[in-house]
Amino acid sequence: MNIAEKKMEMTRQLHQHEYVCRGTFQRTGALSYIGHLDLKAVFERALRRTDLPMLYSQGFNPRPMIVFALPLGVGINTEGDYIDVSMEVPVEPDEFISKVNDKLPEGLKIISAVSIDEPKNSLMSVVSIAEYRIDAPGISEYLEKIFSLDKIETTKKSKGKEVSVDIKPLLISITDISEPDSAKYLCYAGSTQNLRPDVLLKAMTEILGYDKELAANATITRLKLYGGKYPDLASIEGLL
Amino acid sequence: MHTEVKVPHSVLMGVESPGRYVGGEQNQIINEDVIKQLRETGSCSQVRTVLCFPDVYEIGMSNLAMQILYKILNNPEWSSCERSFSPWLDMDKVMREKKIPLYSLETRSPLNEFDIVAFSMGYEMCFTNVLQMLELGGIPLLAKDRKDEDPIVVGGGPITCNSEPMADFFDAFYLGEGEEVDLEFTELVKKYKDSGKKDRKAFLREAAKIEGVYVPSLYTPKFENNKFVGYDIEDGAPAKIKKRIIKDLDKVDYPTEPVVPNINVIHNRAYLELFRGCIRGCRFCQAGFICRPVREKDYKTLCDQGMQIMRNTGYDELGILSLSTSDYTGLVPMTDVLLEDFDKNHQSLSLPSLRIDNFALDLMEKASSTRKSGLTFAPEAGTQRLRDVINKGICEEDIMNALHLAFKGGWTTVKLYFMLGLPTETMEDVEGIANLAIKIEQLYYDTMREIGMKPRKPEITVSTSMFIPKPFTPFQWENQNTEEEFKTKQQHLRDMIRKHRSIRYIWHDVKTSCWEGILARGDRRLGQVILEGYKNGSIFDAWDDYFDYDMWMGLLESHGLSWELYTQNYSEEDVLPWDNMNLGVTRAFLLREKHNAYEEKVTPNCREQCSACGANCYKAGICP
Repeated sequence: MNIAEKKMEMTRQLHQHEYVCRGTFQRTGALSYIGHLDLKAVFERALRRTDLPMLYSQGFNPRPMIVFALPLGVGINTEGDYIDVSMEVPVEPDEFISKVNDKLPEGLKIISAVSIDEPKNSLMSVVSIAEYRIDAPGISEYLEKIFSLDKIETTKKSKGKEVSVDIKPLLISITDISEPDSAKYLCYAGSTQNLRPDVLLKAMTEILGYDKELAANATITRLKLYGGKYPDLASIEGLL
Repeated sequence: MHTEVKVPHSVLMGVESPGRYVGGEQNQIINEDVIKQLRETGSCSQVRTVLCFPDVYEIGMSNLAMQILYKILNNPEWSSCERSFSPWLDMDKVMREKKIPLYSLETRSPLNEFDIVAFSMGYEMCFTNVLQMLELGGIPLLAKDRKDEDPIVVGGGPITCNSEPMADFFDAFYLGEGEEVDLEFTELVKKYKDSGKKDRKAFLREAAKIEGVYVPSLYTPKFENNKFVGYDIEDGAPAKIKKRIIKDLDKVDYPTEPVVPNINVIHNRAYLELFRGCIRGCRFCQAGFICRPVREKDYKTLCDQGMQIMRNTGYDELGILSLSTSDYTGLVPMTDVLLEDFDKNHQSLSLPSLRIDNFALDLMEKASSTRKSGLTFAPEAGTQRLRDVINKGICEEDIMNALHLAFKGGWTTVKLYFMLGLPTETMEDVEGIANLAIKIEQLYYDTMREIGMKPRKPEITVSTSMFIPKPFTPFQWENQNTEEEFKTKQQHLRDMIRKHRSIRYIWHDVKTSCWEGILARGDRRLGQVILEGYKNGSIFDAWDDYFDYDMWMGLLESHGLSWELYTQNYSEEDVLPWDNMNLGVTRAFLLREKHNAYEEKVTPNCREQCSACGANCYKAGICP
């Protein structure tokens, strides 16, 4: 095939009807210690081990077409992140769940899925809010304290430089502090505004004097991602 | 006693690539029965081996030997095998500070809990990392200090054809291919374990009777006038250790369900091994002699295994592995079958070590969905005279004809590999390297004119490495070039190539090769030097940034040794430290080949004519 033919083929493929399986997945244990690109590769290989009819990207290195809702940082567990896998033909959610789970390494699991015919919005664009849980000694007290501040000045790395930021506007609400060592909260998430939980923990150590070693050993879990505008949270499965 | 090593979250979050230290990969083997017994009683009935790779995870997990032995040692129900890798400098530091022992990835057991600690050693520069892993694993560094209940420390891999520099630290070495000897040794350890591990020395004496097992403590080296003169061998130990090989590679277990790393490793692909050995006999190449005889796998076996591996791993690329892909007799039918299957599944085939000709170009085009990648040639020497000296069966005409075809076919990137410091090399030979690259540059423009194409800028890369004389090659008696000689030659090439803008010259650090030259032909006195170097903080010597040449030279001197002693002083009459090893190829053959080299006489390859190298003692493969 010459280059012109290849280009035509690529264009044809782009307009091909796309059936998407949108899976909700969990990640724990060893798999939590890998980065976003590695996680993507782990899913790609697992999918290749199945006989599912994935759509492949065109070009020199064809890969299964998959999209994540929001990158998951190294060391962070999840109980509800989303992945879109494009298929050539419709695949039933149950078939998708069982076939992929059969091939995923321990620590990664699809817990539910929906099938979508020609999604209109990209998965990444619909995410706006995340709920996190931090497990660490005495964390609930500190979360309550930090939410009560008017301004939360801290620094974060941006393009290699330390820049000062106020993260207060990124926090939404506390959802559960009934246990002293386990706290849940909502914050903004996504490509436009996003609060990483490690930045919040850092602010707790800097401003409120929360123990650094405890903060460094905190278990962070992303509980769920939502779309919509607070307080009208929308389920990602429903945002097609 | 069994402890499960817990690495705090904060430690993992504080180091580069924590995925190196957590395991949990697809196809990793966790023996639930072993875990159950360990938790209940603190020990288990199985022989437990931890396979150690003395470099970072990303390199170790790209190593086929690790995958092969992992599988083999997990096959019998009485044996269980786990993995461990060198922690990188950041992790090494915290592990020492926080007293976290080095552990296996599967059950998180400290290394000193295992019955066998087995190192796979592919290159000399990993030696200090062996000591790092032993120390972090809580195992006495010196074999003589180990007690009955301590793990048995064994080593395998190409370096064992002269393991003397590391002999102080190992209880035993395996010589040759590991698939069978590993299991025989492990079975003996099972008996030792069952009888309550009472007499380590007696166990080792017994182990020395297994063919292919070298127990260095039974061989005491003798030195006279600062020169090695032979061994005092304990009664019962063999005078010569004979290399083990697998006669029929179709019948031996191959890992079609290899462990698939979760992080990006050096070679992130599946592997298929075509054959062992090499018919060529390039006189500088240790692998070409120590891996004899050539034994091919049937192409049907390979097709089955290749397809299975891809299904079981989900990789998008299968890498073909051998010393010289083009010499595989089943290459055409094998690639036909595999390519047809891969095409359906969006997978590709990577074919390194191809001798470039019309057929190869065609194959490369079919094999890879990727853009026309670079063409690689390894002429190794710049003039025909020197290529005859090293028995490199490639001539300038072949290269030019192949490149003429390649340039016509649209290739523009060429990589050329050479060695500096080969025996009999003169400045004319060094200049030959630059001249060849310049001719290729000219050939590109001529070819473009011939076919009426507008030339782009070709990319021609010339890369030189330093020749290191290695044991069991016809050049094992040769002198190595000095640091100065190497540097002069590199500089001369840089000057010659500088003006040519489409030629890029890549040269390597001279000092690393000088140290490697010492270790390659070293004797047991180097053990103390390696130990002290390690105590001074040297690890990851293979990584130029962390290699301290001056420190090593200072240590050598303080032990009354020198660079000259190990790289300039061998004569044909000498007893060599590796003379107690039998790799099939005979000393007489190597000597013949040395003399052929000096007479610039080419030796036919194994398929053309048998040169009576001695490897036919194995009655296997290609040998008559």
